[in-house]
Order: sequence, then structure tokens, then C-alpha cells
Amino acid sequence: MDRLARFQRWTGWLTLLLLGVALTLVVNAPADFQQSNSVRILFVHVPSAKMSLLMYVAVTVCSIWVLVRRSETADILAAAAAPVGAAFAAVTLATGSIWGKPMWGTWWAWDARLTSMLVLLIIYVGLMALRSALDDPQKSARATAVMAIVGAVDLPIIHFSVTWWRTLHQPPSIAGPGAGKIHIAGPLLTPLIAMAIAFIALGAYMWFVNARLIRASRRLEQLDTEHEEHG
Amino acid sequence: MMLRAAYRIAWKDVMGDFRRRSTLSAMLFFAISVLVVFQAAFNPDRREAMQLLPGLLWVTILFTSLVGLGRVFQAEEEDGAFEGLMLAPLGRGVIFLGKWLGNLVLTVAVEVLLLPLMLILFNVDGWSSLPAVFGVLLLGTLGLTGLGVLLAALTQAARSRETLLALLLLPLVVPLLIAGVQATAALLSGQGELTAWVRLMVVFDMIYLALAPWAFGWLVEE
Repeated sequence: MDRLARFQRWTGWLTLLLLGVALTLVVNAPADFQQSNSVRILFVHVPSAKMSLLMYVAVTVCSIWVLVRRSETADILAAAAAPVGAAFAAVTLATGSIWGKPMWGTWWAWDARLTSMLVLLIIYVGLMALRSALDDPQKSARATAVMAIVGAVDLPIIHFSVTWWRTLHQPPSIAGPGAGKIHIAGPLLTPLIAMAIAFIALGAYMWFVNARLIRASRRLEQLDTEHEEHG
Repeated sequence: MMLRAAYRIAWKDVMGDFRRRSTLSAMLFFAISVLVVFQAAFNPDRREAMQLLPGLLWVTILFTSLVGLGRVFQAEEEDGAFEGLMLAPLGRGVIFLGKWLGNLVLTVAVEVLLLPLMLILFNVDGWSSLPAVFGVLLLGTLGLTGLGVLLAALTQAARSRETLLALLLLPLVVPLLIAGVQATAALLSGQGELTAWVRLMVVFDMIYLALAPWAFGWLVEE
């Protein structure tokens, strides 16, 4: 009967299994000949970056579904996906900074990808703020869905314009990403792919847990108002 | 017919504003105070002012437009006339167009006054490129107000509406801001890429002026 709970249980076990395998691979991976052990943070960084974008795709799909079908389930799923995506974006920025300090010599550079990721995080936060600032649940659902779609249209333009701006301006002077074509050696690539797959399961698990929480709290609110009405 | 209706809505907003002199003067004096604060913070000499002007111009316009956008639906919200407007036998897109046009007129009016004022206050000799800079400014304003009015509609019933509007609008207009600043700088200094940035602004404008009326329709549908 309860599909969400089943999804949650399944993805939970799957995450545990996949993370176990992936982390074993990460621990056994050789250290990079230039970056030594700092390279290991990329096993968290890269999958997080992918997941922060993937969660936005999920938000957008659910938002279209909200507008077309007025589905409450889609609204719950959209509401649940945003904080998960924001968390992944924040982890991406944090791990990128930690990696950047020893590798680039700076915590932060206004590189194209860093800037777009930061904007993505702000858009996630904006979505969450908009949702909580509207009292009428119907209005809140529609407004947030429209905003999510506007953001989905804007994100490629932002990424494109920031990249263009940087390349028109000057080529990356520090050894930033894109400065040289980067090849990842096989022994590092396998754990990276394993981590990416594990993170997909992790993201889905977090999404479903959050969706169940939101659904439960909405039901509770509903029961509360019904209880008051009946005295 | 439809355009006429949009024009009537815009006219109502602009005339109402002129009679009360509220939004226009609020925007203008807000813009001037941004200039004063900027001058106090950076105290640029003539050469520095020339370099800072494009960025300052666009940041001032951006912040000033937030003042205007915060009020686009205020009159309707306060006396519950929004439902009345929605009951009008018009497409939602037309209503959006009217509200957008009204906001556009006010924002452009502020810009017309602000741009020469900035050249005077910062002692920058950019008079020869003034019409071209104004053209770029206008181009950016189309997209800025198009997206802005849509976001104003999204947030009109929200708590702490104006903060939320800024939080939503500012990240989304980053492409417009980059293109506008770069194009303005190219015009003022006579070097650098111009057409590529203008093209980006045109694309941004087209996307949002096509998307916003639809999105507005989805938003207010009962």
C-alpha cells in the first residue's frame, strides 16, 4: 500500500551495500602521484556535484507534474527533493574548497563551475524559502513549481554565461579545472564510478525519507484542523 | 484589442503612480542614495570611476528595480482587487503583459534620469556613448522586468515578500548582469567584445518574455 515506505527501505539497503563496496574501493585506491591522498576527497566531491544537479532535474520534473496534474504527491516529492539537492550542493562547495586549498592554493576562485554551483545552492535555498513563506498550500505548491521551472531554464544560461565570461576575459591563470585536459587513471576511475552509483542510491534514499516526513507532517496538520473542527 | 487591454492596465498603473508620485520617486531616491553610499565607500578618482561605472550602473539599476517590483502587485493586494483583475475577460498573458509594461515604463523613467546623473556625479566623460549605453540598458531592462514581474507575482502573497523577491531574482539575473556590465564597459572604453554580449541579452530577453506570460498563467489559474 505505501509505496514511499517501500522505496525508502529498498534504497536504504541498496545505499548501504553500494556505499560499502564503493568505500572499500576508495580506501584501496592508490594515492595520486601528484595530489597524494588529497585526491580522495574527489570521490565525495564529484558524485555530490552530479547529485546536486540530478536532484534539480527531479525537482523540475515533479514541478511540471504539479502544474499539469495538480498532484499532491508530486508536490511532496518536489518539496522533499530541494533540501537534499541543497545539501549535495553545499557538500560539493565545501569539499571543493578543502581540496582547492592545497591544490590551487586558495579556498575559493570565481571559476565558472564554482560560481554556477554557488548560484545553484542559492536557487535551492530560494525555493525552500518561497515554499515556507506562503501559507496557502495550493498557492505554495504552484508558486514553488513555477519558480523551479524558471530556475531550470536559467541554470544553463547562467552556466553558459559565466563560462563565456571567464573565457572571453582571460584563460584560467591558476591551474583551474579546464586548464589542461584531465585524464583519470583507471585505478582512480573505478572507485569514482562506484561512488557515483552509491550516491545516486543515497540521494534517492534521502529524498524518500524526506518525502515521508513531509507527508506525515501534512497529515498531522490535517488531523489537527479536523480535530479542532469537531470540537 | 488584446494589446489595447494590456496597454490600459499599464496606463492605470503608471498614471496611478504619477498621481501619488510614490514608486517612481521612491525608486529614484533609492538609486541616488545607492550612489551616495557607493561614493562614500570607495571614493573613486576619475580614472577609477570610469572603470567602476559599468558595474555600479547595473548594480544600482538591479537594486532599484527591486523597489519597483516589490510594489507591482501591491495596490491589488491591499484592496483585494487582484481577483477583480483576474475576472476580467482577458487572457492571463495579457494581464501579465499589462503589469509588465507598467513596471517597464517606471523603470525606464528612472534610468533616463539616473544615467546622466551618474556621469555628472562621478565626473565621468561618457556623453558621446550615452545613447548607446542607454540602448544596452533598455535591452537589459526588458528581461530584468520581465523576470522580475513574474517573481513579484510568485511572492505577492508571501511573508517578508521583498526579501524573498531579492533572494529569488538576484541569482537568476546573473547572466543579464554579466552581459550588461561587459557591454557597457565595451561602449564606454571603446574596446572589448560588444556584439556577443548584446546577443546574450537578446536571448535572455526573448526567453523570459516568452516564458513569463505562460508561467503567470500557470501560477494564477484557479
